[in-house]
Amino acid sequence: MNLDYDFMLETLWLALPGILVTFEIALVASAAAVPVGLVLGIIRARRVPLLSQLARVYISFIRGTPLILQIFLVYNSFPSILAVVFARLGVEYNIFNLNPVVYAFIVFSISETAVLAEVFRAAITTVDKSQLEAAYSVGMTAFQGYRRIVIPQAMSAALPSLCNSITDLIKATSLAFTMSVMEITAIAKKQGAMKLSFIEAYLDIFLLYCILIFTVEKVLKILEKRARAYQQA
Amino acid sequence: MLAVTNIHKAFGTNEVLRGVDIMVEKGDVVVLLGASGSGKTTLLRCINFLELADQGHIRVGGIDIAFRDARKKDIHAIRRKISFVFQNYNLFNNKTALENVTEGLIIGRGMPKSQAVRIGKACLDKVGLANKFDSYPGQLSGGQQQRVGIARAVAVNPEVILFDEPTSALDPELIGEVLDVMKRLATEGTTMLIVTHEMSFARDVATKVVFMDEGNVVESGRPKEIFVKPKERRTRQFLQRFLGDSDYAI
Amino acid sequence: MNPRFIFETFLKLLPYLTVTLEYVSLSLLFGTLLGFLAAAAKLGRNRPLRWLANAYTTILRCTPSVVLLFLVFFILPAVMRNYLRINVDAWPALFFVVVTFTLFLGASQSEVMRGAYLAVDRGQFEAGVSVGMTEWQSFRRVVLPQAFFFALPNLTNTVIYLFKEGSLAFTIGVVDIMGKAYLVNATNFGLKALDVYLALALIYWPLSVFFEWLGRLLERRFGYTQVKPEAGKTAESVRGRGRSSIRGVRA
Repeated sequence: MNLDYDFMLETLWLALPGILVTFEIALVASAAAVPVGLVLGIIRARRVPLLSQLARVYISFIRGTPLILQIFLVYNSFPSILAVVFARLGVEYNIFNLNPVVYAFIVFSISETAVLAEVFRAAITTVDKSQLEAAYSVGMTAFQGYRRIVIPQAMSAALPSLCNSITDLIKATSLAFTMSVMEITAIAKKQGAMKLSFIEAYLDIFLLYCILIFTVEKVLKILEKRARAYQQA
Repeated sequence: MLAVTNIHKAFGTNEVLRGVDIMVEKGDVVVLLGASGSGKTTLLRCINFLELADQGHIRVGGIDIAFRDARKKDIHAIRRKISFVFQNYNLFNNKTALENVTEGLIIGRGMPKSQAVRIGKACLDKVGLANKFDSYPGQLSGGQQQRVGIARAVAVNPEVILFDEPTSALDPELIGEVLDVMKRLATEGTTMLIVTHEMSFARDVATKVVFMDEGNVVESGRPKEIFVKPKERRTRQFLQRFLGDSDYAI
Repeated sequence: MNPRFIFETFLKLLPYLTVTLEYVSLSLLFGTLLGFLAAAAKLGRNRPLRWLANAYTTILRCTPSVVLLFLVFFILPAVMRNYLRINVDAWPALFFVVVTFTLFLGASQSEVMRGAYLAVDRGQFEAGVSVGMTEWQSFRRVVLPQAFFFALPNLTNTVIYLFKEGSLAFTIGVVDIMGKAYLVNATNFGLKALDVYLALALIYWPLSVFFEWLGRLLERRFGYTQVKPEAGKTAESVRGRGRSSIRGVRA
């Protein structure tokens, strides 16, 4: 088996900027998912009538269907939805000129929100109910009790799952190529198809992801340890 | 000061409180006695609205309201007049000892931070923890945690402090330090309503002892009356079980 | 949205569920075997083997499914042709899917099994030996059954993972429910994409919910009678030993 190392190196170099797109998607999705997921998690943990049931259906759908299916659903429905929205707002813009990365933002935000809602729900239920009672007993309102006592504790309980979900998210962005987003996979795939050197191209993708995710995982572990330091008494 | 009348509470079909009246005057140290399951803890939790009573009336610090009529605003107002010491301490795990004490002042009552810290330090000093300001609950022993819990309850300067079996979760050798702190509060005239199984504490410190059984107040009076000459058969049986015959006449 | 078309598509996709279930069950079978071997290597005394098993797990954990799928699909034939003189060109694409997910499961299952093994108290093994069992007997008859129930909750998650993640098989031309939906969409020139994929969601979603329900049922059944916390320990402390939720465990 002979590999064309020159081509491999060249493609590796070309695909490298794809990492930025990967980070961009992961960042936008997380920025949307952390606050919304937290709110949904609280709604679920407190069993707020109606809203809790709605959240449950949404979370169940996202967890019960493959990501690729969600991608196809959004990619095939949002352009027309956005077109209507733009028309209503009177924005003159051809929806088909929209950078496909926008759809990646949408899909990954929707799916990550559901994942984090579950993470936060579980984390909130690990905080003993007596903590909230203690907050009431010193004269805090439910909102103050949640903000000052329950959520900070839930956050540190959620940290490991949160970090896992971020690495999962980064892995999942490899599917963005199906929306013709030019990230690592898409760039290398294109190169491979041009030169009919698929093996080298896919080895590149594999290498890049491996190193990327390994690094992210390690960095998150370190951050996690720092953030939890106060608890290790 | 604190007056609760005709309070009823049932969990499903299990009637835990069946029309209890309780009165705590300023400076009183009222000890609630009774076998487990007699409704003492539920009574305290209802007073602080940690459970919602089915029926009954509460009067505390100028607020006078039926439990069922209390709205969020009223509940909040009542809680700010009463503080609570929990059986399992329930310190805020993510806050230091000092923050535990100041939290209720700064957040619950909107006190400026510097003033809250001053009060918090004084309260911790009072319970003998002046050297533990920055310790997290996980770094403290059970007895120390409960003393922080007491400091937290004292700091907000409430009309009355409710103690829910404050020493039951402690190892025997740690009980003394907590009881000592409570004794000191009593001598300073702090108004307290205490659920406990510490008979000698009740006998020596209480101004009034209330004996409960099956959701009713069976008997109440000065500790001397209750411990030496209990009128009711059930009270006698209870005391006999707890004190044994020899201690009976102390 | 056209409900009638969605329903028709739903019926069209349904038969291809057998393909989906085929790679799910095959990957589960081989992946569990591989996972068992890898777990044994991790727990064993052989250093190079232990290192290898750990490296394998780490690498697989850091690889997105679709990337490994492509890699296996493009590299495995070349490797087999060059080194084993086997021509796999005519083999069904399903083969590569099963290889891919066997590799993934081997890695994740080895971690689950290792954790489950470690969750069983050392005293259990010692008790077995003390009543005259050999080490192997003690492992097989005492430790393994208990470890199995620590690992059980993970089975549901694994099946659901395979069921959903396997949908990527369409990218290498496997016609499972996802692949068929992709084809139906193409024959309609992508004009009815939303309806087609909604029909597909109507298969995935209820089945995932069903698997989850089934898992909870199994856990309650087995967890209840089999795993009991040792005296003096609450159910919580047993649960807390690094395992994910083991519901239904009561003293």
